[in-house]
Amino acid sequence: MAQNSTAPSTAEPVISNPSGSAATANSRLYNVWQSALRFQSFFGLFLILLISMFASPIRDGHNVFLGADNLLNIVRFASENGIIAVGMTLVILTGGIDLSVGAILALCAVGAASCMMRHNLGTAPTVILMLGLGALIGVINGVVTTRLAIQSFITTLAMMSAARGVASLWSGGYAIPLEFGNGAGLAPDSFKSLFAGQINLLGLSIPVQALYFLIAGSVAAFFLKRTGFGRHVYAVGANDTAARLSGINVNRIRIIVFGISGLLSGLAALLHAALVNQGSHIDGQGYELNAIAAVVIGGTSLLGGMGTVLGSMIGALILSILDNILGLRNIQSEYQLILKGVIIVLAVALQRQQK
Amino acid sequence: MTFADQCRALGLSGLLAFGLALTGCNQASTDNTSSTTTNSATASSSSNSTTTTTTTTTSGQKGTYLIGMSQANKGEPWRQAMNDQIAAAAAKHPELQVVFADAAQNNAKQVADVENFIQQGIKLLIISPNEAAPLTDVVAKAYDKGIPVIVLDREVNGNKYTMWIGADNTAIGKMAGQFVAKWAKDNKANPCNVLEIRGLEGTPPTKERDNGFRAGIAANPAVKIIAQQTANWTRERAIPVSQAMIQANPNFNVVYGENDPMAEAAIISAKNANKDLSKILFVGIDGLPTPDGGIKSVMNGRLGVTYVYPTGGAEAIDWAVKILEQKQKPPRKVVLKTEEVNKSNAAALYKKYGGK
Repeated sequence: MAQNSTAPSTAEPVISNPSGSAATANSRLYNVWQSALRFQSFFGLFLILLISMFASPIRDGHNVFLGADNLLNIVRFASENGIIAVGMTLVILTGGIDLSVGAILALCAVGAASCMMRHNLGTAPTVILMLGLGALIGVINGVVTTRLAIQSFITTLAMMSAARGVASLWSGGYAIPLEFGNGAGLAPDSFKSLFAGQINLLGLSIPVQALYFLIAGSVAAFFLKRTGFGRHVYAVGANDTAARLSGINVNRIRIIVFGISGLLSGLAALLHAALVNQGSHIDGQGYELNAIAAVVIGGTSLLGGMGTVLGSMIGALILSILDNILGLRNIQSEYQLILKGVIIVLAVALQRQQK
Repeated sequence: MTFADQCRALGLSGLLAFGLALTGCNQASTDNTSSTTTNSATASSSSNSTTTTTTTTTSGQKGTYLIGMSQANKGEPWRQAMNDQIAAAAAKHPELQVVFADAAQNNAKQVADVENFIQQGIKLLIISPNEAAPLTDVVAKAYDKGIPVIVLDREVNGNKYTMWIGADNTAIGKMAGQFVAKWAKDNKANPCNVLEIRGLEGTPPTKERDNGFRAGIAANPAVKIIAQQTANWTRERAIPVSQAMIQANPNFNVVYGENDPMAEAAIISAKNANKDLSKILFVGIDGLPTPDGGIKSVMNGRLGVTYVYPTGGAEAIDWAVKILEQKQKPPRKVVLKTEEVNKSNAAALYKKYGGK
């Protein structure tokens, strides 16, 4: 995605060299290329925004893609995947993977619907229970992975299957519809407005999903950059033996990141249930792959130890924009799958050139 | 390591016992308590599932008929409804005992499921195949062993099965199209712009429900499909899809969802886009009698109309009784009729199809 042609305009200033020999010109180009790679996700975002702007249908002289409603839609749909991708980034940074996020989403969405519709629980207890459930499942992932020394790929694959099974039993094989209102047998309106409502900011009605996305991403980015915990996450992913020898409690870090991933899947589940007005055991299928795609497009290495939360957030935005523009152009979903594949490979290919 | 092994064994037997207990709940037979205990006892002594299920057969009482129901994918609510309707219909016949298997959309698993049923000595096979070609051989094998085979919904190739029961997607799509054609005329919508949300590209029902619908709306030239997108039959996928469709085509009168969940998603999107829902007709198909299904949605005034795509579950048990007990020779093909679900008959139909 990061083409040479777009790089010079926004790249870091390069020290000018009046002698201009062939060798320095080459190294200058190399520097530009490297800094472009470092910000590949930004260039990707820039590029896809540009393409979408030109590809957008025009209606009554207005660019449909750039319409405020449409841009807010994009952010709304990036949010669920983005929140999951934030948790996924932490896990991947430690060198692990979490395949159970989609199943946790289904389970917590079913759980939330069941709490409110069948057990008449209010918004607060439902939210606390479901975030707790998500975090608990994540911690179980972490404990099984570390204590039984099973690769997280296997642990979370098993959890993906088990959580979906439990979700199916809990729901009884059908989705539990959410009907909002006040009274017995109805879900509280506050749940809908808290997780699928809008907030007026600067004259724009911002979907709340976007705020959760922003908060989750910022908090995770802050902890990664500014705290010892963050440095330990990178250290574990870069070389866990070295991390252990330098006194880091590697297992504890692993368990915490899985717990966070589970917690954020639980949060995504609340947003999901509020948006689709139901809790369904078959929802969230393939969400783990969407999240991993966002993380990878964002420049995080699956080997661990290298990457940023910001990159993953941009990755989620890129996927959402792609989805949106193809929808606006009325292009079949098959092409979207193909394009997604191409973009992922491109992102990783570029990543490997980074030094 | 031993700890891990113990965990595994415990978890496995626990899960097995739990699963069997649940299957037991669905069964009407009087001996399910005893068979469940036998099964979980065998399971905890870590023997494989084939032996445990054979125990069920031998413990079956004299004069009972064991029926195997092989489901392609219980994950789809429509197929869950099929299983539920079979269980409910069988509950009225104490002499029938139905065992269920779920292939979870996996052809190979479904072949193995049917092989297991044959080993268990089933007296009749009901199968809703995941795909025709991969299941044809094993269905023929059962049939050649003298086991009557009732095929539901999707077909198998050749003629080695007893009967097929299913509905006609093209006919249902056409009824939906005719309804839209008439609605446009009654509401003086000219042009009448339709957004179509399709199931999964390359699958027969997607094509048939589209073909039928186009044939139906041909009656009124004012009706035009102005955009169509696929959303994999699910509500969660249909939300972003319909949202983009509405942004690109804000002037629409009708949304045709090839199934109810996708039409429901379009309602959510239209609401988010601040559309006047009372002026838009939302059309779905499937009409499941479940809390999340289309009939309830029509009752609550969300969907304008939907069409029951019957599962054939109850009919399969009816025919099973006729074949096994009355030794009747069934027709080769039974095409089930659909029913239009509208505001005036929704409540009655919900009751009729066993909605709770």
